[in-house]
Amino acid sequence: MAARLRGRPAHAPGPTYLSYTPNGKKLITVGVNGALRVFQHGSDNEPAIIDVLTDGHTAVASTNDFIVVGAEDGSVTKYSLLTNSMEEILVRCSLPVRDVSLSKDGEWVAVASDELEVKVVNTRDMTRIMHLRDQSRPVKHVSFDVSGSTLAVSCTDGIVYMYSLSSEQPQLIKRVDGLIKTLETDVEASAKVAWHPDGRAFAAPTATRARSDWQRQKAFSGGHRADISAAAWSPNGALLATAGVDKSLCIWETRSQRLLKSYDDVQNAILAIDWHPTDNVCSYTNNNGELFIREDFVPGEHAKHLRIALQPAPMNNDPLSEISGNARKQVGNGDKPNGVRRSAEDQYLDDLLGPDAMSEDEMDFIEDDDGAGYAEETNHVGKRTAVANGGRPAKRHAPFATWNPQVHEAFQPGSTPWRGDRRYLCLNMTGFVWTVNQDTHHTVTVEFHDRQEHRDFHFTDPYKYDKASLNEKGTLFSCRPSSQTQQRAVLYYRPHETWTTRTDWRTQLPAGEEVTSMSLSESCIVATTSKGYVRIYSLFGLPLKVYRQKSMPAVTCASWRDYVITVGNGSVGGDGTTRMLYTIDNIRRDELCQSEDVVALGEDTELRSVFFSDKGDPCIYDTEGVLLILLHWRTPGQAKWVPLLDTKTMDRLASGRKDETYWPVAVANNKFHCIILKGSDVYPHFPRPLLVDFDFKIPVSSFPAGAADDEDRDAAQQKNLEEQYVRASLQHSLASDLVDNTNATSAQKAEVPVMEREVDKALLQLLAAECREGEERGMKALEIAALMRDRTGKMLEAAGKIAARFQRDILGEKITQLAERRLVGLVDEEDM
Amino acid sequence: MAPPLPPGLTPSEVGFLCEMEHVTVIPRQTLDGLELLGGPTGALKPPFPTPLPLWLALLLKKQRRANITPPPWLSVEALTQILDFETDERTAELFSPSPNLPPATTSAPLGDAATARAQADALPYHWLEIGHLLITHAADDFDDLDAVRKLLRDLREVRMSKLRKGFEVLDAGGGVKMNGVGGMEIAEVRGFVGGVVDGLRRLNRSREESRKERETEERENGLGSSSYRDDEDEDML
Repeated sequence: MAARLRGRPAHAPGPTYLSYTPNGKKLITVGVNGALRVFQHGSDNEPAIIDVLTDGHTAVASTNDFIVVGAEDGSVTKYSLLTNSMEEILVRCSLPVRDVSLSKDGEWVAVASDELEVKVVNTRDMTRIMHLRDQSRPVKHVSFDVSGSTLAVSCTDGIVYMYSLSSEQPQLIKRVDGLIKTLETDVEASAKVAWHPDGRAFAAPTATRARSDWQRQKAFSGGHRADISAAAWSPNGALLATAGVDKSLCIWETRSQRLLKSYDDVQNAILAIDWHPTDNVCSYTNNNGELFIREDFVPGEHAKHLRIALQPAPMNNDPLSEISGNARKQVGNGDKPNGVRRSAEDQYLDDLLGPDAMSEDEMDFIEDDDGAGYAEETNHVGKRTAVANGGRPAKRHAPFATWNPQVHEAFQPGSTPWRGDRRYLCLNMTGFVWTVNQDTHHTVTVEFHDRQEHRDFHFTDPYKYDKASLNEKGTLFSCRPSSQTQQRAVLYYRPHETWTTRTDWRTQLPAGEEVTSMSLSESCIVATTSKGYVRIYSLFGLPLKVYRQKSMPAVTCASWRDYVITVGNGSVGGDGTTRMLYTIDNIRRDELCQSEDVVALGEDTELRSVFFSDKGDPCIYDTEGVLLILLHWRTPGQAKWVPLLDTKTMDRLASGRKDETYWPVAVANNKFHCIILKGSDVYPHFPRPLLVDFDFKIPVSSFPAGAADDEDRDAAQQKNLEEQYVRASLQHSLASDLVDNTNATSAQKAEVPVMEREVDKALLQLLAAECREGEERGMKALEIAALMRDRTGKMLEAAGKIAARFQRDILGEKITQLAERRLVGLVDEEDM
Repeated sequence: MAPPLPPGLTPSEVGFLCEMEHVTVIPRQTLDGLELLGGPTGALKPPFPTPLPLWLALLLKKQRRANITPPPWLSVEALTQILDFETDERTAELFSPSPNLPPATTSAPLGDAATARAQADALPYHWLEIGHLLITHAADDFDDLDAVRKLLRDLREVRMSKLRKGFEVLDAGGGVKMNGVGGMEIAEVRGFVGGVVDGLRRLNRSREESRKERETEERENGLGSSSYRDDEDEDML
């Protein structure tokens, strides 16, 4: 292209503004003289000129068919692009117009003038007009968001006013204070709000803010030495172009807020920038009446940024899988805004084939006659809506999609993603570790529940640790490798108590390896890495073992004493997602307890957390709100997942008024400890919510609690007893497993007969209920009596007494017979 | 000679008694179980919530050894709901009902009225005292302290005005239904009601006495002794 950049003298020297039509065919410039110029995109011909009555134009906005121009004499005029002539004067202000903005559908135009109020005028019917009067000083800029329902008004008092225009009566929804500078209306510096094309964030000279909570999110800093005079997002939101009054021009990458390129050949201060909607062209006008059309604006090596689909705005709390360590690119499945990449070839192919062949443009082979959305509607550009509407059309994708299994992402149990500038790295029954993002570094705070035992500590963290694990003995941190500083992934362990001067240690992982999840137990440190290794260290940093995980990539891991459970992605199931497999390993004895067994999760259910209970049994919690515990896991091949609690069936939710979910923390003292999340929250946030505990309730039956009449209450009581029986048997087998397989303490050994008695107690109560019901329930009563675990015969004796009290003589006889046969050993385990 | 105590419990006595109620505590350090006169307490092991008598909980709280979990009825939603019930026109005559009685089988002398397991939609007997104590001494354990304080005050005023309205009909033979009224509320109005009833009687008495005196004068020798009647009245209150 042109080697030397040459400005096109568009207007008489003076402030000049421009606007691309949404279809990218025309470029309109306005300036101080009494003419508008309409450039055809891609042609070097002389522009068309619309001679107008006004001069000193200060703003322009365009749709495909018409443009709206504001002038210093206070008029806002609508010109047709079809006939290149004036149509009507939309509104007349008493003071100079400073900015105009059109909503995306071209229906409304917002006008900022030196008057105090902002007028929003309907472009078809100029009598329909809305006045926005909440600002106290003249307004410098107005800007519609992508949906056209929100208007950002940058006022000269340094406040951005956000109005909602979705109803007839405009409503002020937010004042954003302290964001923009206080500027006079006629200075060159700009305070205009530039909405990110995905509609969730906007950029204003100084910072980016998220739209949902109006928090400052990310700053693009370090490129300009003076005030910003113009800014524009690229059509897909991946890049941001900014210009300063110091005659600078910069391109930024949205995702990382990195400065991609800075142009130094700008002669005059740029007043307006606009990207071409599809091509790699960006145009700008300056305060000298000139227009520059820069082709190949984005340097070749970064041009790929322009071709990708709509990019999400950079948010601190984005679910950009920060929690999951190394986010895998999910190619193909779903239409998430990030991760889905549309290749350049794809687009070129589309251009070559034209609208008729194999594309979903106008002449589609699927007719969307019932409006069910088989066929994508094309937008006004006549192309696929890769730009504005979020994810890519799924249909197009289907025939060409390569088979891509969905892989479960790695996560660190007990951590949360960023929200605002802070997140929890670890939250458990010992304490909690949280970190605050300070841009250049993080600050990490470790707090303990038991303040007497441990002292809270706090440190500045230049490594930006992204994972932590905490227990009674110490804290383990890890950070990601950084390509910029050549820093490798580091594991850092800090014991709480030492009797030597310094025992904390760091160890670096080999280059290119990243920690995907890690866990700290009382005797070892486990880390799963992106290379598929499981690395095990002693508490003092001695590498004990390295082995490759059989199911990769790793999802998560947990450990308890010498037992380590690692969860990985296994083979692919019928629904295109991988099956999660777990392995339980005893590292001291070097035995596999369970090898590549399935983590039993229902369809569309994800693993939320993996942890060991305080008695050392592995537990999982899934997105359906079910807590499961692993039974018989010390014997290979015998493990099974048993539900302990289905939080959706808890009594507290029975009224239907409460909308809450639970974030698992631990299973301890025979209770499920969790944090209550209100509404649609998925993770706990600050301030730290209280821990809540719930009793186990095995989902044996669903019976409405608090039933009104007696009959229902009796039935509910019955179900309760049944649940109690199942739960007691489960706890009994967990306890006896523990005693059989380990060197159990005497307390643990004493627990088994206690649990046995609990089981029998529940059975006796069930038996009493059956006896009360009547003689005809005798068969069931006898069955219950036969289930008694007690070998001494005392429980059967008690059962006989119950039968006698209810005068069920036949039953009593049969129970006595059973007891006698048991006593002499006629009935053994198999017969029962 | 000890000063004569007014009949019934004084507010300070009610306040003292309420400290026997159990509240849920989240310990911040370990403490073994204590053998107390009121029964043994559970061992404290952070962060497992444990029920403790209120007085002990407040003591630990002051020493920053524990946090107190406010009972569910002391939340903004629950109090708003109860206040709505109290101010609703349809139920304006009633006090919000007291919590359901625990099943008869429980042998523990004190229930769960103020622990984390308490019923959320009813005010227990000692609601005013417990609420006041927790707000003053465990202020940092509340999410929205000001709202809770305001709601408690509103509730107190609404219920107090209801009680007073009840006393407008207080006359010989008049009665007020006081279901659901808390201990402190009774203790507070006891002085007032006692005063009113006493005052009424005194007014009546002077009239009665003068009438009797007249009668006595007329008969020159009285039959009934007014002091004897006074004693009888005193006993009745």
